[in-house]
Amino acid sequence: MEQEKKLTEQESLHLITMMINKAKESYHDKGIGAIMWGAVIAICSLVRLSEVQFDYRLPFDIYLLTLVAIIPQIFISIKEKRERKVTSYDDAYLDYIWLGFGITIFLLILISNNIFGEWGSWANEYKNITGKQAPFRFNEYVGPLFLMLYGLPTFITGAACKFKPMLWGGIFCWICCIVAIYTSIKIDLLLTAVSAILAWLVPGVIMEKEYRLYKKEQAQLNV
Amino acid sequence: MFKDLDPILHSQLRLAVMSLLISVKEAEFTFLKEKTNATAGNLSVQIQKLKEAGYIEVIKQFKDNYPQTICKITPAGIKAFEEYVKNLQTYLTQSK
Repeated sequence: MEQEKKLTEQESLHLITMMINKAKESYHDKGIGAIMWGAVIAICSLVRLSEVQFDYRLPFDIYLLTLVAIIPQIFISIKEKRERKVTSYDDAYLDYIWLGFGITIFLLILISNNIFGEWGSWANEYKNITGKQAPFRFNEYVGPLFLMLYGLPTFITGAACKFKPMLWGGIFCWICCIVAIYTSIKIDLLLTAVSAILAWLVPGVIMEKEYRLYKKEQAQLNV
Repeated sequence: MFKDLDPILHSQLRLAVMSLLISVKEAEFTFLKEKTNATAGNLSVQIQKLKEAGYIEVIKQFKDNYPQTICKITPAGIKAFEEYVKNLQTYLTQSK
């Protein structure tokens, strides 16, 4: 491109449109984070479901896997930031939204564990006195709370990036949240696993495929 | 009444750089070079002119021991770009 070429008004407008489109084409998420989290949440939910269904316990809490997954996520984030030649406004906001989501999930786990602690002793006391199970089971409502939160950043990301698989994934999480209010823990866990697969794993795989295609096209253009 | 188009923006490479930067929060020099197909020398000169006009901010830093130049549009740059597009539209409407 020549540096001082004077343009006609039409040429100027054409150039502006072309460059804005070129800038838009550059945002390509590799989808690795989405694939990993989709798989981790689905595995955790399905393993917990099998524990409930077949009445056994692993020697460790399977949900600890989510804590372990934070380590590769940090590396993925650092690598993606380093490789990023351009930061869109969407990228900047979405980074904060997902960070906020992570913090909120952590707080929800903390609150749930506290309620479990208090409710557990109350439920035991009730059983000792009446000989019956407590009529209110708090853990029936934990699944819907998490599903409600899963939907939020997923929906926003899908809408902001105009990426329909994630947009619909977010909506699916909320539908599952409503269903899970009225279903048993086993169904809640199954819905959580399906939500993680549809909201993150599948969109992540699509993103990864699109990224590969984009890289291939770029390589062909540069030949 | 036609207003004169901003001479800083009414140049191919500078307008291309501003159009790219208006769409993003910030971009590396290599990104601008790749998208505009300009030579590094040309691009550096035009970026300097945009910087002197106060339209962009240039941040020079090191990444993995290599120098890295990041460009960002400033509020004055956004205003100038919007004014330029407005004037351009006036020209095109009047000339129809």
